[in-house]
Amino acid sequence: MKRIDTEILVIGGGATGTGVAWDAALRGYRVVLVERRDLTHGTTGRYHGLLHSGGRYVVKDPVSATECIHENRILRKTHTHCIEDTGGFFVVTPEDEGDYPDKFVAGCAATGVPCNEISLKEAMRREPLLNPRISRVFEVPDGSADSFLATHATAQAARMAGAQLLNYHQVTGLIIEGGDGEKRVVGAHVRDVARGEDLEIRAQMTISATGAWANVVAHMAGISISVIPGKGTMVAMNHRVLNTVVNRCKMPADGDIIVPVHTVAVIGTTDERVADPENLRIEPWEVQLMLEEGEKLVPGISRARVVRAWAGVRPLYQEDYAGSSRDATRKFALLDHKERHNIDGFITITGGKWTTFRLMAEKTVDMATSYLGERKPCITATSSVPGVDQGPYWLGHRLHEIEEKKLQGQLVCECELVTRSMLENAVRQNPTITLDDLRRDVRLGMGPCQGGWCTYRAVGIVHEMTVSETGHPAESGTAEWDVAYMQSPARNVSSSASAGAPAIPDDERALFNPNLLLRDFLQERWKGVTPILWGQQLKQERLDELIYLSVMNVDHLPDRDLSSPVTEFYRYDTTPNGNLEAPE
Amino acid sequence: MSGHSIDLLVIGAGWSGLMAAYTAANAGLKVQVIAKGLGSMHWAAGSIDLFGYAPDAPDTPIHRPLEYVTGKLAKEQPQHPYALLGKDRLVAALDSFVALTHELGLSYGGAAQPGENLMLPTAVGAARPTYLAPQAQLGGDLGRSEPMVIVGFEGLRDFYPQLIAENLAKQGIQARAVLLPFDVLTDRRDSNTVQQAHGMDDPARRSRLISELKKLAKTGERIGLPPILGLDDHAAVLFDMQSQTGATVFEIATLPPSVPGMRLFKAWRNRLNKMGVRVDSNMEVVSAQSEPSSNGAGPSVHLVESATSARPMKHRAGGYVLATGGIMGGGFNSDHEGHVWETIFDLPLTTPQARSEWFNPVFINPAGHPVFSGGVAVNEAMQPLDGDGEVVYSNLWVAGDLLAHDNPILQRSLEGTAIATGFAAAKAAAAAS
Amino acid sequence: MHTESWQSVGPTLDECIKCNICASYCPVAAVTDLFPGPKFVGPQAQRFRENGQPHSPDHSVDYCSGCRVCNEVCPTGVRITEINTRARAELAEEHGIPLRNRMLGRNDVLAKLGSIVPGLANFGLHNGLSRTLADSVMGISKGAKLPRWANDTFAKWMKKTAEQRLKSDKKVVYYHGCSTMYYEPFIGKATVAVFEHHGYEVIVPEQGCCGLPLLNNAEFPEARKYHQRNLDWLTPYARQGYPIVGTSSSCTLTLKEEAPEMLDMHGPEAHELTMAVWDIFEWLRELQESGQLQTDFRPLPMVLPYHSPCQYRAHRIGSPSLEIMSLIPELDIRESHARCCGGAGTYVYKKEKYQIAMDVGAELFDFVKEQGAEVTMTSCNSETCRWHIETGTDLPCRHPIEILAAAYGLYDLDTRDLV
Repeated sequence: MKRIDTEILVIGGGATGTGVAWDAALRGYRVVLVERRDLTHGTTGRYHGLLHSGGRYVVKDPVSATECIHENRILRKTHTHCIEDTGGFFVVTPEDEGDYPDKFVAGCAATGVPCNEISLKEAMRREPLLNPRISRVFEVPDGSADSFLATHATAQAARMAGAQLLNYHQVTGLIIEGGDGEKRVVGAHVRDVARGEDLEIRAQMTISATGAWANVVAHMAGISISVIPGKGTMVAMNHRVLNTVVNRCKMPADGDIIVPVHTVAVIGTTDERVADPENLRIEPWEVQLMLEEGEKLVPGISRARVVRAWAGVRPLYQEDYAGSSRDATRKFALLDHKERHNIDGFITITGGKWTTFRLMAEKTVDMATSYLGERKPCITATSSVPGVDQGPYWLGHRLHEIEEKKLQGQLVCECELVTRSMLENAVRQNPTITLDDLRRDVRLGMGPCQGGWCTYRAVGIVHEMTVSETGHPAESGTAEWDVAYMQSPARNVSSSASAGAPAIPDDERALFNPNLLLRDFLQERWKGVTPILWGQQLKQERLDELIYLSVMNVDHLPDRDLSSPVTEFYRYDTTPNGNLEAPE
Repeated sequence: MSGHSIDLLVIGAGWSGLMAAYTAANAGLKVQVIAKGLGSMHWAAGSIDLFGYAPDAPDTPIHRPLEYVTGKLAKEQPQHPYALLGKDRLVAALDSFVALTHELGLSYGGAAQPGENLMLPTAVGAARPTYLAPQAQLGGDLGRSEPMVIVGFEGLRDFYPQLIAENLAKQGIQARAVLLPFDVLTDRRDSNTVQQAHGMDDPARRSRLISELKKLAKTGERIGLPPILGLDDHAAVLFDMQSQTGATVFEIATLPPSVPGMRLFKAWRNRLNKMGVRVDSNMEVVSAQSEPSSNGAGPSVHLVESATSARPMKHRAGGYVLATGGIMGGGFNSDHEGHVWETIFDLPLTTPQARSEWFNPVFINPAGHPVFSGGVAVNEAMQPLDGDGEVVYSNLWVAGDLLAHDNPILQRSLEGTAIATGFAAAKAAAAAS
Repeated sequence: MHTESWQSVGPTLDECIKCNICASYCPVAAVTDLFPGPKFVGPQAQRFRENGQPHSPDHSVDYCSGCRVCNEVCPTGVRITEINTRARAELAEEHGIPLRNRMLGRNDVLAKLGSIVPGLANFGLHNGLSRTLADSVMGISKGAKLPRWANDTFAKWMKKTAEQRLKSDKKVVYYHGCSTMYYEPFIGKATVAVFEHHGYEVIVPEQGCCGLPLLNNAEFPEARKYHQRNLDWLTPYARQGYPIVGTSSSCTLTLKEEAPEMLDMHGPEAHELTMAVWDIFEWLRELQESGQLQTDFRPLPMVLPYHSPCQYRAHRIGSPSLEIMSLIPELDIRESHARCCGGAGTYVYKKEKYQIAMDVGAELFDFVKEQGAEVTMTSCNSETCRWHIETGTDLPCRHPIEILAAAYGLYDLDTRDLV
């Protein structure tokens, strides 16, 4: 069995885990990170994309609010190109009466969240579709973030600092030494899911950064911790609708925020305690509620086209807590299992939110340092990840670059403006096993047609790359992992053919079976549209069906028995089986 | 149907609408076609799928579809549109369509053995059952034994010859792939297959491709290409390709826009114009008025109104054929509360009125998704029926993807049902006038 | 910047199912890479534009000719042309509008100036030297046909012939537009003759340019003033129940729909005007349906290629010109299915677009040629299209109302004057 020795093993490839890997590597530790699917596949890639100003917490959770504004300022420098400076409004709708707005203003002052009341006229000038019956508008420095890109960039920075990141590597058990009272975690048994191989990773410190799955990992050490998985359902509208983050000025509740991120506007979220962070159902009443609540901010939004729905699962930590999940704190929890459970070599970091991932990572590595010994100080707050030289994200950048470089004829995904070279370079320059990985890399298939055109094209292109005579399979893990300019058409005018064929090890080639890639991606897209299929999107889906059944006949392609070990969850039932009314 | 300048107003300009208009005009009716926009013919492969896969054996293509739909299917699913039509009308419709394509210079043909399905290669290299196909697709018949060379163009985003050849080879078909430089196809930087096909209308452009094809084809090999063999001058392009290369040259349909469909649509519309039938798109019907029952015939459609730049425009006709397509064509709309409705006459639908009953969790599913099988129930004359089986309007006939009790995309029967029901609707309208 | 009209036009982008029918029928994308096609610049690009963006991300939308073929073929009702017009307006707001486009947008002012001393103006505009200068200095294409000022404006003729004009209880308001006023008063004369032939008294109220050239050249604030002026002048007639009938298909389209929609002028008076405006043949078709159309036609034995212009098709009223002209004995009308003549209003006058306009027009010009050598003239409803078709075919092009007036024996198609 293959064995890797390291100082720090990080479990979990979300924002926090990659943040820990980055921080620890910069401080001079040897780090290995394992993620059971693609990076960001858990909660990081399934949130609404808000870069918090802290405004949402100023009344209820002032400590979180202060952390947010602090980190908000840092991330705009460390991850500039991943963040759009949309600004944010807190608006008082006719339904939000009472003294909350005054408490909000006081809370902002107390926590250091900058807040300006602006005139309704000014707000309407900037956002003409806002509900004209809104009475007060407060402006805060909210933003929106691309959590896929940011995490990939953090991961690249970590690799550049020496960390080793292994995705599609699932922890099957912790390696524990010693008996009662002397227990020590010394690493983990890990399964390379794609290749079906087991390996052992030995580490002096194992850090679980698995968010809502923290208890699953804790159980492997024979302990239990109070992490409540809180499911949040979100719907994405087909176009931006708004260009400013808009929050209701009231105690945070279901469906009280619209976040413009990339080409869509996300209405979020519901909040439901769930027993299992996997297999999240999206109930019809949740979608209904998002649209009804969205209507209070933007009248008419419920009649606009919804392009997709998904659910993420918040890791909510509360000691001995049994109430509803929204009331749990959004502060993060850093658990020293030596102190709590007398288990050495094991730390859990959970709770918190995307905006504070860097701070969480810093505190976590600080704790690890107390056991492993001092190295260099934390420098993540003043470092930057590769790609920041592109400046802040702006919505028009892809369109602008396509125009400047005349790349219209190269478009593979016409909805989200993904060119052939972007796709090819993403395949070559960072590990790819499914088309869904490419989706997170370059936004393939995320627009209105939900893969209708680009699924075929992407499969054809990836196939062409793998059979190309000039290609030579690279060694495992030798992908350049260059994600800095992955989303820029202008920086990918030509394919980096010098990088050779994609880094597909021979033993992973079976996963690159084009028929499998095709079927899996169609299913993955289907999973996210069934909760919101009606009106235009239903029409779109029927046209997509015409393409893949009538024109292509993909349901009768060879290799029908082939299945991928990494895509099983695409088949979770997300169809709307329940009621439109929320349960009491 | 006296007293109207138009005998029959056809709403919709897809397969079923054009077939209805053509059939009615042939029967001597004064016909007009109005449509919100162009549709179905521009999306699919341009061939006539009659029936591809039976619900009880979804893995095996139907070998003899005409026999199947008029036999087993008709018995087991008496409400299926084909069952309502019966063999005679179905055969007459298909014959009429084939005769039309000959007249248009865009001949359609079938398998070598009459009555059998063709198996044609798709753009991913699957074998697709279809009943009638344009001449240019027939060369790809997988029932024939000659090996194939699939020719693509570097950077053409809608056609991947290596993928096609690899999948065909997996199915025991001798196929190899070649990629030619993009500029053999076009000098344009940005173009789709329609524009590329139009480029081949130019003899100089196509001779360049021909000389490349001559170099690469081996003796006895068929040459498979994306659908780029001319747009307005397709017959000449196909002729030149085959006569000058000495090989069978064929097209493999790919992503929309459908070049074969567009060729047919343009020629068909021109034919209708010559027959005195106007085909106007950008005329969206926004309302309809009915008249109460007179002389026991039941209520009838009095007029429909289409949106204009100002006042709605009234269209009065003796009879009306509704051929607006189903969910895909826009004949049905639906909302988040699970309502599905027919957009012009609000005809009764069999579609489940709850989203919880619409879908199957697996996209590719032999059972299909129930929302797509619902539609307007009709009698044998293609007249819409209400829940009690009564005719809703005495002068309204329904055709195509609006019809209930089938899932034409899943069954591979989209064009077959559209043509046959369009034909039957027009015949019924003519008989009533 | 998104004004409110983004609400009425923008959301139709949600209707797009990406099917590319528009891209396949777009006559401009068919001939040049400079225009990436209606789907790309319309519903697709619109998702990448935002209020308050650092700068307009794209410029190729400027190559949209505004012909509306995309709207016509779209199966789902995306108002692509309107999305594009708005995007062009945003570009203009950001980069300013070139003097040339300001001039082309204010054709009414230019026309009025020229009409003061038409002979001199014609010489000034039409000599080779000034066209070369205009081409190189201003970017006004040399090859595009410019109209000639008439010696007398239509208004002067109306005034001169006031005594002869029919008085009647049946009244109709005539919206003649700028071109009839200054360049082609004979169109107005033919129209008045046809109205009077049906027993209608013609009212020609004060009126101004409809504002379409301004809309096409992205001058929205000015266009808003123009439309308000026309509302003030014309709505009172609408309230009295008079039909307001026009001969220029693009002007009537603007009054009916484009101006209120693009300029967010959705007040009650705009609606009243919309409901009162008719294209002349749309109005005649109503007469026909109520049995009041005069059918005392003389035979017009000729082959007449007829092109229904884009702006006319955008009325979505079918082809009433064709229907009415079809009643004329011995007139062999050949309807063109060409998508666009290429001229597209002021598009052809822009030097960088001239060749595109000619290439787009080839479909129509070839069609005319195919109708044989016996063809002596063509017909089209829109003035700028007629001028462009004359350039492309070397044949005279007549408004269908001229054809109709001739068939009534009221008008001479060669001298373009009443008989």
